[in-house]
Amino acid sequence: MLLPALLLAATPAPAPDAAALISRLKRPVPASTAYTEVRFAHQLTRPLILHGELDYGGADKLGKRVDAPYRETTQVSGDAVTVTRENRPPKRFDLQRAPELKVLMGGFSALLGGDAAALQSLYTVSLVDNAPNWTLTLVPRDAALAKQLREFVIDGTDAEPRCFTLRQSNGDSSTMLLGALASTPLPAPPAPASLAAICRAP
Amino acid sequence: MNSKSRRAAIVAWWLLLALAAIGVQRTLVIGNDLRSFLPPPRNADQKVLMDEIGDGPASRLLLMAISGAAPEKLAGLSRALVGALGSDARFTQVFDGDESVAQLDAKLLPYRYLLSPTLDHAQFDAAFLRDQLEQRLQDLASPAAGALDDILPRDPTLETLELAQRWTPRHAPMLRDGVWFSSRGEALLVAATRAPGLDTAAQADAIAAVRAAFAALPDAASAKLEISGPGYIGAQVAARTRAEAERLSAIGTAGFLLLLLVAYRSPAILALVALPLASGALAGLAAIIFIFGGAHGITLAFGFTLLGVAQEYPVRVFSHRRAGETTAATVRAVWPLLRLAIVSACIAYLAFLVSGVPGMQQLAVFTIAGLLVAGMAARWVLPPLLPEKFDDVAESKWLARAQAWLADMPRPRALPWIALVLGLAALWFAPAPLWQNDLAALAPAPAGELAREGELRAALGAPDMRYLLVLHADSADGVLRLSERISPQVDKWISTQAVDDVELPSRWLPSLQTQRARQAKLPDRATLTGALDTALAGMPFKPGYFAPFLDDVETARALPLLDPQTFERSPFGARLAAMLVQRDGVWYGLAALDGVHDANALAGIAAQTGGAVRLFDLKSASQELVAQYRTRILQALGVAFVLLVLAVVVAFRDWRRAWHVLAPMTLATLLAIASLRACGVPLSLFHLVAVTLAAGLGLHYALFFERPVADAAEARRTLHATLVCVGAAILVFGLLATSAVPVLRAIGATVALGVAFHFVLSTQMAMRRAG
Repeated sequence: MLLPALLLAATPAPAPDAAALISRLKRPVPASTAYTEVRFAHQLTRPLILHGELDYGGADKLGKRVDAPYRETTQVSGDAVTVTRENRPPKRFDLQRAPELKVLMGGFSALLGGDAAALQSLYTVSLVDNAPNWTLTLVPRDAALAKQLREFVIDGTDAEPRCFTLRQSNGDSSTMLLGALASTPLPAPPAPASLAAICRAP
Repeated sequence: MNSKSRRAAIVAWWLLLALAAIGVQRTLVIGNDLRSFLPPPRNADQKVLMDEIGDGPASRLLLMAISGAAPEKLAGLSRALVGALGSDARFTQVFDGDESVAQLDAKLLPYRYLLSPTLDHAQFDAAFLRDQLEQRLQDLASPAAGALDDILPRDPTLETLELAQRWTPRHAPMLRDGVWFSSRGEALLVAATRAPGLDTAAQADAIAAVRAAFAALPDAASAKLEISGPGYIGAQVAARTRAEAERLSAIGTAGFLLLLLVAYRSPAILALVALPLASGALAGLAAIIFIFGGAHGITLAFGFTLLGVAQEYPVRVFSHRRAGETTAATVRAVWPLLRLAIVSACIAYLAFLVSGVPGMQQLAVFTIAGLLVAGMAARWVLPPLLPEKFDDVAESKWLARAQAWLADMPRPRALPWIALVLGLAALWFAPAPLWQNDLAALAPAPAGELAREGELRAALGAPDMRYLLVLHADSADGVLRLSERISPQVDKWISTQAVDDVELPSRWLPSLQTQRARQAKLPDRATLTGALDTALAGMPFKPGYFAPFLDDVETARALPLLDPQTFERSPFGARLAAMLVQRDGVWYGLAALDGVHDANALAGIAAQTGGAVRLFDLKSASQELVAQYRTRILQALGVAFVLLVLAVVVAFRDWRRAWHVLAPMTLATLLAIASLRACGVPLSLFHLVAVTLAAGLGLHYALFFERPVADAAEARRTLHATLVCVGAAILVFGLLATSAVPVLRAIGATVALGVAFHFVLSTQMAMRRAG
């Protein structure tokens, strides 16, 4: 009895439920969704709240637009990142220099492409299934990255993700409320716990 | 001398030579670089130019690519190789990624306000700080947030990032795990060698060190290290040329020994034939070491070529032995003519001694000492060692027939004149160019290697090899001021794509005046605190978060200005140190260029700055130096020719006899050059040296053919010696002429062709009729 259990533990394939769920998350290309992002940064006395739109243009193509409180566009294509702010020349940099974005990017790509294997190669994936609601927790496999990013949590209902939450090792975190959730009023003041509750319960 | 003691003496002589060779080897410092062979620089400008040719920072770079493994593993190997080479004294710098500004000494960190241009166009007032802080807030909500963690409280205006951008080459390769990678997925590294790029021996040593360090890395086995760069290509080409020369010389030597066996039917000869030449070569080296302390690589190459004449001496001794006479008597009879040949050649080479060029003086000392010692060895040491039993070559039947045929050969008086006219016509109508000034063209690198070097150079954004922007002023700070002054012009060049990038010294360190102006704009603590508080009003930053910023500005206000000496001690200082050099009280700033597309536009800076900034074209400058050097050699050869004519005329005291010797030699030289030119070959230094060697050999042919002889047998011996010499020269140099390496082909074809002309014309114009 012990041997099969060990074998299962050693096999780097997601649990069948998680794989099935991830393949259902596959989006047609191009896809876009509105978001509201709440960021808790240790430098700040209150969280930053941003509104905008996320775009998915196929493998390795991602866009994030901030509409309020300021305007900014971030375009990722392969490893090249371009950040354009109002009235300023665009800034370009390499994805290698922004590990956080690289993980987000790889996660998004795998998630929106419904590619469970790719996701599994980047993260240890675990699923909590309270049908129709579910929570996927991704922990980076790369040690250097894990030093910065503790986990990447996706909450959803049926085949729809509701929230992306990134939790940093230093206690900072950011939660993106997606789609319809982007326009729900936020608790005042927003706190990580209250946001988690919004993400989990429809 | 009996045969036993003779054998002992031969062995003793070889042993002595071997010992001397070891001694010479120990003391000999062979310089490999062309510059010491060039006329001494006359002014500081030329000195800088000479430094930069083959010695500039661009020529010292070894470009490396590691491939054949997963990216993380390649990055690890790259970092480990940098670590291993970092402590190797053969390298001044090894990089595999952008230097991080975090490397800036903590003590130097407050200097960012003096180094960064922000304060040139901004004030640290409330409005500016508010704008900056709003951007930082946006940064905190952006993917770059993690990178800001450490520096934000100290540096809310991100001056460290500004400096990092200034100090990163515009075309830096992409980074993976902090290591440079090419678009093909190879990890890229650059190592700057301490030795100049032209020093092929030192470059080969450095390359071996890199390979050894790489092989010693754990799990390097699966990965592949590729090296390129000017020093690498130079070392490869030199090694290939040497291998080819050695292979052909080995075949040539074997053929020569076989020829001697056939000619003298005595194996004992083989142990003796090389002794005079070897003794001469060692004496030449010893003389150079004694007088100059070291030898130049090209001196040795040219010197050994010219010394080839000495191979004639033992052959003359061997061939002229006659039955019933001791070798000593033979040598006594031949010696006056041999001595005339040696002494007149030495007198001719005196012209090189007075040329004033160190390399040519070395060449003269080497050749004169070598010829004298080789001659003396043939005269006094060789005869007692020769076996007592030998065949008199005069008794050979075929030789008698050959001599009769040559003696009866028609000698139309007009023939030399027709040859002269044809030769001059060929010279006149030959296709341009007359001279080959690009020495690299004589030992070209394979196209594949050059293409790979270009690829890596472009991928790494490594500087251009050919062009260099040179600034000069009366102080280091003056150079920095000048550099700042032309900076707007340089930006214009970059925006109009005349050049991809220019690494101005002021990009690393601003002038004192600029630093002072920036320092003066830094507000005092109270003012800055007030401005910051105003700017922070309503923003969510934690109270007191920017206290380190206030401290750093306060520190920066009181800093002594950063001078080049202090800056050069920082981790970035090596770059600046390589760019600022002093020669004869003049300071030079050397700005490396990357991707020069319009050299003419860049050259215009000289007029705009009254000559204080100039574009150096190292390729055309080095070609000019080669041309200058060639002019010197030609002048020296001209004087040498005059001295030779005088020596021969004085020795003969007879114009007619001197004419018979000198006319065929001169005409044959002319015809050899004319033939090369008619085939469209541009002439190089190597052709000139080869022509000189052939002329030295031709002088012997003419002298001996012209010699009045007592009987027909002696004439046959003369012919025998000459045929052995001609056969040997054509064999050895004809083989070189088959080489694919242009420099070997140049020397081989020229000598073989020249020897053929000298022989034919000597039989036509110098040979006495039998009887």
